[in-house]
Amino acid sequence: MNRYLQFAVIRFKSKTAYRFDYFLGILNSLLSFVVYYSIYKALYGGAQSIDGISFSMVTTSFLISLGLSSAFNKNEMFLQDKIKQGTIANELLKPVNFKLRMLFEDAGEGAFNVVFNFLPTALIAALFANICAPSGAINMLLCIASVILGYIVLWQISFIVQCWSFWLFSVWGLVTIKNVVINILAGSYIPMWFMPEKIRSILRFTPFESIYFMPVQLYLGGLSQWEILLGFLRQLAWIAGLYVIGELCWRSGIKRLVIQGG
Amino acid sequence: MKDILSLFFAYARSGLKSRFQYKVDAIVVIFAVFLREAGGVIAMYLALQKFGTINDWSIDELLFLFSLIFITYGIFIVFFMALRDFPDWIKHGDFDRVLLRPRGVLTQLVLCGADWLAAFGHGTLGILLLIISANRVGVEWNVKTVLYYLMCVIGGVLIQGAVFLAFSAITFYVLETNSLKEIFYWNMRKFAIYPLSIYNKFIQAILIFVVPFAFVNYFPAQFFLQKPDMASYPTWFMYITPIVGIVLYALAYAFWRFSLRFYKSTGN
Repeated sequence: MNRYLQFAVIRFKSKTAYRFDYFLGILNSLLSFVVYYSIYKALYGGAQSIDGISFSMVTTSFLISLGLSSAFNKNEMFLQDKIKQGTIANELLKPVNFKLRMLFEDAGEGAFNVVFNFLPTALIAALFANICAPSGAINMLLCIASVILGYIVLWQISFIVQCWSFWLFSVWGLVTIKNVVINILAGSYIPMWFMPEKIRSILRFTPFESIYFMPVQLYLGGLSQWEILLGFLRQLAWIAGLYVIGELCWRSGIKRLVIQGG
Repeated sequence: MKDILSLFFAYARSGLKSRFQYKVDAIVVIFAVFLREAGGVIAMYLALQKFGTINDWSIDELLFLFSLIFITYGIFIVFFMALRDFPDWIKHGDFDRVLLRPRGVLTQLVLCGADWLAAFGHGTLGILLLIISANRVGVEWNVKTVLYYLMCVIGGVLIQGAVFLAFSAITFYVLETNSLKEIFYWNMRKFAIYPLSIYNKFIQAILIFVVPFAFVNYFPAQFFLQKPDMASYPTWFMYITPIVGIVLYALAYAFWRFSLRFYKSTGN
């Protein structure tokens, strides 16, 4: 396990080399936040709360989903590039599990993004926007746990889509489509509270609802113990299910792999 | 002129041919661009199901506003794509090749670099939104309004073209301008999609006077829709998009001509 952790640490360190990029990254995230902040400020039109959801709950939910998407901001063409260039052959020879290594490298990059992109953005955003405080220490811990599970769900969906590069000329289109679907249905473009009821009732049967919305609800508090337990079970069930699908895709992809030269 | 047209068609033919080499992939990419851009529109549609209006703009009026930004970008990317990626042209030494050919430098850049797949994605979305919304928002289409709409589209394309032409000229001095573009174009575009009046005064001022995206969609849309939030701005802003486009482009072109002298090849 230690060896995989090293992959994460190395990726984290290598990201710190590009200084100017972080200022730009913070500015980008901050401006995205300002766009949503302005839209919902106009939609609320001065009202304190709508359907029991206050404006600061909305801004908090946007900030949390910004954090998770910044953690998940990574190169999703990784597998395709390895296959196209044929360097995947060398990777497969190394005595490490390729998939696990990829997960840890991505996690290292995600950790970098959270520390150097999301946290500064959140601090600056808190200066001008009303952000709710976490509802308690235990809830905060549960929120972080749920973020990590949400990350693994997102990562696995991404891995499955990337596995299509064994069969397709390019997966850029599929990755982009996947990201739009996740952003809309998981509630990073529109807070889940305002999603039309019909769509929401369908979303309960997908992995999307638990990705962004579960951490938000835990952070804000108000879920019963039973709902928390059910939420975590749901996340774990999706992780298991997606793991099986991912393994199937990966194995049949590797079987099909032909490397030209090297 | 005939010469330029035939050059454009020759470039277009070869560009389309190469992008459609992998047909399924090309169609997936077009659809992906379409959906990526539609994401924000869909989110707004869902939000307005709950909230009704935003600053008195109904969803149909918003779709009309959105359509302008997508249509102008779709056309923009056919002509100004080489300027979008201009730092790469300089870094890879491709620009030297352009200088050696017996045609105007900018003419070649404008004609050659169309990103057809993205153009189809943005263009289709823009036209679709226009078709959906145009009747519902009660625009009276006659010779005058159609003509003004077309002039606004051209003006909007020129405004964005001028921004990129200016950045390309700056590239001659500093070589790397992608970060500047990220700040002043892509981020501003995020703002520009939505009605100007929802932002604070500082952001509004930037969108009107610094990177005048407000003239690409907000003010032309106000000409057709006459929403109450127009009261905060001078009325004549609704009528000047074509002029803003031409003037900005002329200024950017003068700056480009001036800067071209300072070009030093980076070699390759």
